Amino acid sequence: MIELRNLTKKFDDFTAVDNVSFQVKTGEFFGLLGPNGAGKTTTISMISTVLLPTAGEILVDGKILDRKASKEKRKLSVITQEYSMRQDMNMDEVMEYQGRLYFLPLKEIRRKTEELLDFVGLTEFRKRTVRRLSGGMKRKLMVCRALLIEPEILLLDEPTAGMDAISRRQMWNLLRQLHERGMTIILTTHYIEEAQNLCNRVAMMNKGKLVKLDSPDALIQELGAFTVDETGEEGLVSRYFHEREEAIQYLSTAGNQAALRATTLEDVFVEVAGRKLT
Amino acid sequence: MGIVTVLWEKWTEFRRDFYKITVAAMISPLMYLIIFGMGIQTTSHGEPYLHFLIPGIVAMATMTGSFSAIAQNMSVQRLYEKALDQVMVSPTPLWQFILGQIIGGSLRGLYAGGIILLLTSPIRTDLTFNGLSVIIMFLNGMVFSTIALVLSFLAKSYTDAPRFTSYIIMPMSFLCNTFFATDQMPAGFRQVVSALPLSQTSSMIRAIANGEAPGIAGFVILGAYLAVFGLLSVWFIYKKKNL
Repeated sequence: MIELRNLTKKFDDFTAVDNVSFQVKTGEFFGLLGPNGAGKTTTISMISTVLLPTAGEILVDGKILDRKASKEKRKLSVITQEYSMRQDMNMDEVMEYQGRLYFLPLKEIRRKTEELLDFVGLTEFRKRTVRRLSGGMKRKLMVCRALLIEPEILLLDEPTAGMDAISRRQMWNLLRQLHERGMTIILTTHYIEEAQNLCNRVAMMNKGKLVKLDSPDALIQELGAFTVDETGEEGLVSRYFHEREEAIQYLSTAGNQAALRATTLEDVFVEVAGRKLT
Repeated sequence: MGIVTVLWEKWTEFRRDFYKITVAAMISPLMYLIIFGMGIQTTSHGEPYLHFLIPGIVAMATMTGSFSAIAQNMSVQRLYEKALDQVMVSPTPLWQFILGQIIGGSLRGLYAGGIILLLTSPIRTDLTFNGLSVIIMFLNGMVFSTIALVLSFLAKSYTDAPRFTSYIIMPMSFLCNTFFATDQMPAGFRQVVSALPLSQTSSMIRAIANGEAPGIAGFVILGAYLAVFGLLSVWFIYKKKNL
């Protein structure tokens, strides 16, 4: 289990993460949602100990996680938003470096590298340096690198950012498989559909603060499962209803520019944070 | 174990960039040897100037070799490639990472110094270089690797590394007992320059080269620099909030 207790991160006068607390249970698929600048990446960076909190603490299975906590760090693997790899290493070297950093035997590193590169279709490019890989290849290599060490907890910071629709679906399938195998996954995204499809629970962040935390279904039910979108002089206005009949009744009184649809997690966020996600 | 990982990483880098590293390690020292040692043929204390110059150039080569192996590389890894994040997240104890960098950087310095010894070996000088010279070169490399680590942790952009070279390495190259003895400098300034690590290294390697015993003070001063900058780099990697 991962627990964040009153986590705060300040950069000079700017508070990027403001007194955030939540728990992620073992085996849970947990989403951190929020618009750009909400504090998601900063939170992930603190969990991965790249950044140290200004205040508060992080616990992994009850033990404080800091840069000295080798035993706890052994459980974690991170796929960062940026391509955090040596540009002059080839794929085999990137994988070997990762394996060595996690004290894996060389034989095991080579066997798993073989399997993983084959799985993502990168075997034929294994001698190519990172500098010469396309963005999609780099992203796949980062996934391979993270999975090489068979982590208990996988942190993913915007894993599908910049991916085409097919690659995104492939990534979702992979993450589902990993979750089914019992891996704890913490994912940050500003693609609401991604979180709604994958996560058991989501924490919504805005301007560094945690504004909502529950399962996607529960959050949608709380707002109202049915939405009527109405286009008027003020632009698009959405109204939420708990019962379909209520929504239909409202729709019948509304003008032509109205439509009924299912409420999404994005609607919840818009209502909570007061701004549309992009 | 973490130390071996870093040394493996350094070895991978060395193997890949062997020619670039070797040529870069040779060019400046070779120029100084040709221009000051062979072109402008002078004497120093009744001896050919080359006898004075070679130990200084060897010391300087270990300094620049070690410093450049770490400063540029670590700044780029930390600020541009973000590859340091991979290390920070991993269970490898960070002090081992630091020690691996220091040893790896020092070996690169030793390699650079070794090249100069090899290149100057055909010149008849009667200078002595022995195991103790190698130990001093290695120690000097460790000192400048730790200085490079601290500076690269302080760097705000990866273009800072060349600036550090201009502010620190270049002045030391010229002032610290490489081309002329520090005892020719004005009082006050002389004491400051003499206390710098390259002055001590040059002085010790030169003493051995001339068949004399190096002063113990040199080891103490180099050890002090190593301890201070080594501890600083460990402190930075464990405690710096926004690495």
